[in-house]
Amino acid sequence: MKLNNKITPYLLVSPYIFHFLLFVAFPVIFSIVLTFHKWNIISPMEYTGLSNYVRLFKDEVFLQSLINTLIFLVIHIPLQIIVALFLAEILNQKLKFRGFFRAAFFLPVIVSGVVVTILWQQLYGYDTGFFNRLLVTIGLGKVGWLTDPNIAMPSIALMATWKNVGLYIVLFLVGLQTVPDQYYEAADIEGASKWQKFFKITLPMINPTIFMVVILSTIGGFSLFIEPYVMTGGGPLNSTISAVLYIYKQGFFYYHMGYSATLGLFFALIILLVVVIQKRFVERDV
Amino acid sequence: MRLKFLCLTLIVLAAVILIRCGGNNSDKNTLSYWSSNNSYEIKYADYITKKWNSDSPVKVSFQPVPEGQSSEEVILAAVVGETTPDIYSNMWQGDVEAYAEAGILVPLDTLDGFIEFIYDRCDSSVVEEITSSDGHIYQIPWKINPIMLIYNKYIIKNLQLNSVPETYTEYTNASEKFKKDLDGDGYIDRWFGYAEVQVTWWQRFFDFYPLYLAASGGGKLIENNKAVFNNEYAIEVFSFLKNLYTHKYFAMERLSARQDVFLSGIIATRFTGPWEIAHSEKYKPDGFEYDFIHMPVPDDHEGPIYTYGDPKNIVIFSTCKYPQTAWKFLRKMISEENDLKFLEISNQLPRRKELDVNPLYADYFKANPKMKKFAAQAKYVKGTDASPVLKEVFDLISQQYEACVVYGTKSPEQAIKDAADAVDLLFLK
Amino acid sequence: MKILKRILFYLFLTMGALIFIYPFYWMVAASLAPENEIANLTLFPSTFTLSSYTQMFEKIPIGRSLVNSIIVASSVTIGVLVFGSMIGYALSRLKFKGRNTIFYVIIFTMTLPFQITLIPQYIIMVKFGWVDTYLALIVPYFINALGIIMFRQYFKSIPQSLIDAARLDGCGDLKIIFKILWPNSVPALVTIGIITFMASWNEVLWPLIVIRDESLMTMPQLITLFAVGGRAESQLGVKLASAVVLALPIVIAYIFFQKYFIQSMASSGIKE
Repeated sequence: MKLNNKITPYLLVSPYIFHFLLFVAFPVIFSIVLTFHKWNIISPMEYTGLSNYVRLFKDEVFLQSLINTLIFLVIHIPLQIIVALFLAEILNQKLKFRGFFRAAFFLPVIVSGVVVTILWQQLYGYDTGFFNRLLVTIGLGKVGWLTDPNIAMPSIALMATWKNVGLYIVLFLVGLQTVPDQYYEAADIEGASKWQKFFKITLPMINPTIFMVVILSTIGGFSLFIEPYVMTGGGPLNSTISAVLYIYKQGFFYYHMGYSATLGLFFALIILLVVVIQKRFVERDV
Repeated sequence: MRLKFLCLTLIVLAAVILIRCGGNNSDKNTLSYWSSNNSYEIKYADYITKKWNSDSPVKVSFQPVPEGQSSEEVILAAVVGETTPDIYSNMWQGDVEAYAEAGILVPLDTLDGFIEFIYDRCDSSVVEEITSSDGHIYQIPWKINPIMLIYNKYIIKNLQLNSVPETYTEYTNASEKFKKDLDGDGYIDRWFGYAEVQVTWWQRFFDFYPLYLAASGGGKLIENNKAVFNNEYAIEVFSFLKNLYTHKYFAMERLSARQDVFLSGIIATRFTGPWEIAHSEKYKPDGFEYDFIHMPVPDDHEGPIYTYGDPKNIVIFSTCKYPQTAWKFLRKMISEENDLKFLEISNQLPRRKELDVNPLYADYFKANPKMKKFAAQAKYVKGTDASPVLKEVFDLISQQYEACVVYGTKSPEQAIKDAADAVDLLFLK
Repeated sequence: MKILKRILFYLFLTMGALIFIYPFYWMVAASLAPENEIANLTLFPSTFTLSSYTQMFEKIPIGRSLVNSIIVASSVTIGVLVFGSMIGYALSRLKFKGRNTIFYVIIFTMTLPFQITLIPQYIIMVKFGWVDTYLALIVPYFINALGIIMFRQYFKSIPQSLIDAARLDGCGDLKIIFKILWPNSVPALVTIGIITFMASWNEVLWPLIVIRDESLMTMPQLITLFAVGGRAESQLGVKLASAVVLALPIVIAYIFFQKYFIQSMASSGIKE
């Protein structure tokens, strides 16, 4: 019994340790080893020194994929926050059918990304897509949502915002409810306007939520894959190829396992760096 | 106490892992054969294996290649997991070189009577095409689906053309006549043709590559580990196609995400293969008529007009214990008579010489006049050059294709040169 | 004046809600419309037809993939609940050497991007012979760092007296977890269960990599390949029908358990 008590905790956490060793520790080490090799799986591994790294730094498509990811984030995050905050602010007042509206905004969140991309591919269609039919009806010109290299990535960011904004509305709602009512009452007594109240009270109070949303959507944005995979295949002119899609292509299209691992490792380091920097900001501000 | 249960679970889990590690062994007296998974070929494989098994001590058991993203990926996964069949009959020619280099295919020329057989079946140019750079032959050319131009007969007639466009100029002129803004919203919504605008490497099998083969008289892309396509033909093809996009004769939108644009008359032509016949017969509106013609060629073109044949070949994996028996089976499977059976069942062309004049096949082509066009074209088809990095080659060309042809950001000369330079980099060690 | 303002406000809000609902409505309507009407469809097709659905059922084994998805997502969820609560319990209620180390390792792995382990994990699956088996889809997902941390958090809030009483009755640790803690942790179980199930249900990248055999594909994977590949034969309605079928199970569940869905998804963000 005594002995049992000592080893019990270890037995209980042993699945985690197994899992960690097999699916985290070993892969990370193996990944690092792979970066120094050329390997197409069927032939034996071939040691190539630093050539994968040399190739990476010369790889314009990879650079492009990083820029694309950046473009996605720069559009997606502010848009997401503004829309979510705006709608959360509205839903936070006394409202009839509040549950219905909340549920409606939340609907795209629960539906698989595949459904959303198949659907939006149709809405974005150049010739008969819903958006362009709408634009033509109100007398505006057509937009090459997914065919214009300058617009395709923003289009995907717009779609991603539509899909995820419901989640962030709910997060902001939780945040808004933590703001004590007295603050607003005091402001009312001083005759503050709606906007003043928003900028002077609401915004500072929900700062932590905003940062959380930033971090969450940054991580989400870094793993962008299925949207470009289904909608554009990374085109036009590589304007929507995301880093994950490129890693996937190198690994599972061309079976450049070594190079794909190198890209994955390098990209993971970038993500870690960005997240650490963001966390720093959060900790300083909160 | 309950911990025992937990331990047990973990042990079972570990055991499962270990057991699954073992490879799988096939039956001693059976050859395993994977066919393509399209329903017609399954039917044929079923027919031929039954026939063989009825009077042979060594049986052949077939199964369609497990359906996946693409059969290439499935084969690769099987190679990695050491679960390859003995025989596989849907091998894309462009993949063979990489597998041959990895040493997982049987060199067929070492088998009894193979050389005589192959020269009997194919022209020497085909034999040359399928010979690997190490001098061995690892594949048997089995079937092809040549790429040709399908056209809507009604539209061609209504445009009051004297004939179906055959050259770049004729094609471009017809395009100008046909393009139209039907609903008057200021945007073209009727195009003469369509080619898939996606960069995926194999999309170029249906536009650039057959056009290049047509223009160059069956020229190569790669020779002796060097790009050899930086020539007038490739540039002409790029210019021709680029022109079609700049003047909006071809749609830049991905029309494939819409309902079938050829059958609904939104486009008049398209580069495609014989599979289009079955599809069109199934979905075409009443009274819809169509036919096929060779790929467009430069105005000053002379000589036969080649195209891409999309060849699928048969290989024997080196895991096979009885390569001689497997070869005997294959010899029977692709005999003259059985090729006819295959043609009848699948409507895919066997890759053998004098297909269209062989009296054995005459009845079939009489009953299927559209297939006869493909059979005639079959004399002038090319597969792919032997190179282990062919996918990358097509991918690099495709990148330049998109930039130059579709988006017009580069001149054809520059794009072809950049593609050739990038390909040459692939071969640098 | 005030009433008018109110009406306008609600009108505006309804417009907003429509932006989120209409696309789904369009998708369903288009999947029921004849093929040649889809391009110009706005509200109702002239006639309703199920032909897109019957064609889809002929082309892809959608029923089979639904079963696969249910098997995979349920197994993963059960695994995460069982293992998560065991580990969460050990980390929150038991004292042992290395406890803090393990906790920090878990936190660290949460920040580790999956991109880095993608290729090696695939290789492991190949070496184990798990490619084209359920195991590849299930076993790697049994351990979920977020689940462990949420259980740990929740179990901390349960009074020690409850556990002490159980111990006096002679309960072992596993009995404590599943007989005492579980009934007292329903909100945590629901939350973690929903998040895990949804994440597993919607996963596409990993199945794309480890499953090639069509009869083992999960629904999102099968439909992704159907949408990307050529097998829809350019028939648009069929693609949309497949998207509808993919969305349906989750949407139905959502309609019934809306509150739980929203709470769960929201708390998954907060705990991060």
